[in-house]
Amino acid sequence: MKALGIDIGSLTTKVVILDNDGTFSFNITPSGDEAELSAKAAVEESLDRAGLRFGNDSYLVSTGIGAKFVSFTQQQKTITTCLARGVNHLFPSARTAIDVGAESATVLKVNERGRISDWVNHDKCAAGTGVFLQQMAKLMMMPLEEMSKLSFDANPGPDITSTCAVFAESEVISHVHRDPPTPKEEIVTGIYRSVVSRILTLCKRIGIEKEVAVVGGVALNSGLVSILEKEMGLGVLVPDTPQIAAALGAAIIARENIAKGSYR
Amino acid sequence: MINSEVKKNKIDSIIRACGILLRMNKARPDARKSERLYYQMLSNYFTRLLNARDEGKFVAAHTVFFPTEILYAMDIVPMHTETTTWMISLFTGECDDILSAGKELGLASEICTPHRGLAGAFASGVLPRPDVMLWSNLICDNTAKSGELLMEINHCPGFFLDHPFQHSEDEMQYLVGELDDMIHFLEEQSGQKMDWDRLAETVALIDRQIELFREICDLRKATPSPFHSQGFLELLTIDYLFPGQPEAIDYLETLRQELAEKVSVGQGAVSDERFRLMSFFIPPMYLMGFLERISQEFGAVSVTEPFFTYWGEGRLDPGRPLESVAEKSYMIPEMRMYGPLDDRALKSIVGCAEQYKIDGAVYYADIGCRHSCAMVKLFKDILNDIDVPVLTLDCDVVDPTITSEEEMREKLERFFELLEER
Repeated sequence: MKALGIDIGSLTTKVVILDNDGTFSFNITPSGDEAELSAKAAVEESLDRAGLRFGNDSYLVSTGIGAKFVSFTQQQKTITTCLARGVNHLFPSARTAIDVGAESATVLKVNERGRISDWVNHDKCAAGTGVFLQQMAKLMMMPLEEMSKLSFDANPGPDITSTCAVFAESEVISHVHRDPPTPKEEIVTGIYRSVVSRILTLCKRIGIEKEVAVVGGVALNSGLVSILEKEMGLGVLVPDTPQIAAALGAAIIARENIAKGSYR
Repeated sequence: MINSEVKKNKIDSIIRACGILLRMNKARPDARKSERLYYQMLSNYFTRLLNARDEGKFVAAHTVFFPTEILYAMDIVPMHTETTTWMISLFTGECDDILSAGKELGLASEICTPHRGLAGAFASGVLPRPDVMLWSNLICDNTAKSGELLMEINHCPGFFLDHPFQHSEDEMQYLVGELDDMIHFLEEQSGQKMDWDRLAETVALIDRQIELFREICDLRKATPSPFHSQGFLELLTIDYLFPGQPEAIDYLETLRQELAEKVSVGQGAVSDERFRLMSFFIPPMYLMGFLERISQEFGAVSVTEPFFTYWGEGRLDPGRPLESVAEKSYMIPEMRMYGPLDDRALKSIVGCAEQYKIDGAVYYADIGCRHSCAMVKLFKDILNDIDVPVLTLDCDVVDPTITSEEEMREKLERFFELLEER
């Protein structure tokens, strides 16, 4: 029996296949308009790659914003529960997990068993999330990777609001067009500090306990993570593929259910 | 003029809704008798208010936590402005219109919706014009100013009852003086005299009412807990609208009996009680149905609300009615949260958590209420220290545009999973 986890996010769908020895394979595909169809296609693609077929010998747990729209999974779990399991698997010493995805940012306290003891999130505004950074990259007319590189060794940069994505955008435009323009690398640093400020507000509400792991697509942005570390005053743990933490957690729950015999 | 006011106001919408709810109650064989009494009481309260002008009765509009027992003893018809406005909003779905009317008066969006709504409800004629406006700073400081505005909107005389923040002999004496001044004001305005014997009888009934509240709270300690999740709002309404009224005693005795019977046979409010919750502040009124459904779905029951249903110690003395009215204002559950927040009040949270064997707490953080939001961190830390997780739900008690049912469901599901996995 194969343990599978699927995290259907607003931008990407992540599928993880977990083996009994704890090793796993994964696949990341864009989320489609039809959640059911694109999620199924993502699962089939992952199984294909692993030389497997979708059938009765798989136990699939879904999570993420699109999870409620798919019918073919055995169980649905909330993103916080899955993140806690996934982070615990990746970094057993982590007690705080910061997840910054496309549309929300969440900070969790995780115990040694991979259970959450508390969490806080913000999802009312794009400020402080992945789509905000994408928008800023368009505005700066450079890819996210280039933005990340520019931010290293730059001066702290201007203060950019973390309250509202629209206000932040107009502030960035004014920095780009002022005479002389604010140096690009400084604007980028300002943008990152704005995102970090939003994350730190969440961290302060819940309290930071070491070790701290950062997951979610935004964790791929090493420039932003570096500023986060500076602002927090401590180093953070980032996995190689931080986007898959929740899908991995879902797969771990699937494996737990298989062990309990829940599939029968 | 009076006739057009009667036509314009929306009091009848509450009476109609109560009529429907009563019919539904009678149609269900397993429905609570106490629920039937509750809706009948509401219907009677608002029918009396609707007909007051035609019957030549004197109407006093008052804000929340006002000592309404004084009005009952003087045969003055009370209009609890918050309850009336938000029941109309709930039953007509006109929350947006009421809040917009408040906005048109120039009230900023940072002012809490209940206060904006009251002003809007009076200005737009949703509430009938009272003969006098009464308000107090008891519990909510904002009311001290918003009551003044309501008086201006209604072009009527008004009285501000200054309630001392602290509780000492001097302050009690001051409060009794304030109550006495208010009675003189009402006598002058209404031409009706205070019936001191009736006030004494009312105080005796309030004392009994508080005893019944305490007994009901005790019954809710049982596992499984017998009272449904949002039931505490019924208890609040009874206290708000019917202090010392015989029908309130009838309701509370009936409810106590029903709960005692359920406890004796081990029957809970939900078929499979999994999570016993402590609730802080008031859930969004427009999501009551949803919150009851999710309570059933997850077996999650609010078993205690330390600052809404847990009355302070003490007894009232009908022989000293005015002093007792003053004393009661310090015993109401909300006073421990919004009054001087001493160690005793904070320890009572821990005490409630232990006595009611709670698994978690839900804090409905009404974004417009600075009082209650200021205490989120404090209460959360206290409960976290005894290993009780707390979910903070940012919401608004009446405005549905702040938090949707979907958002609420997502956060509650996460919280229930957290509790389940412990």
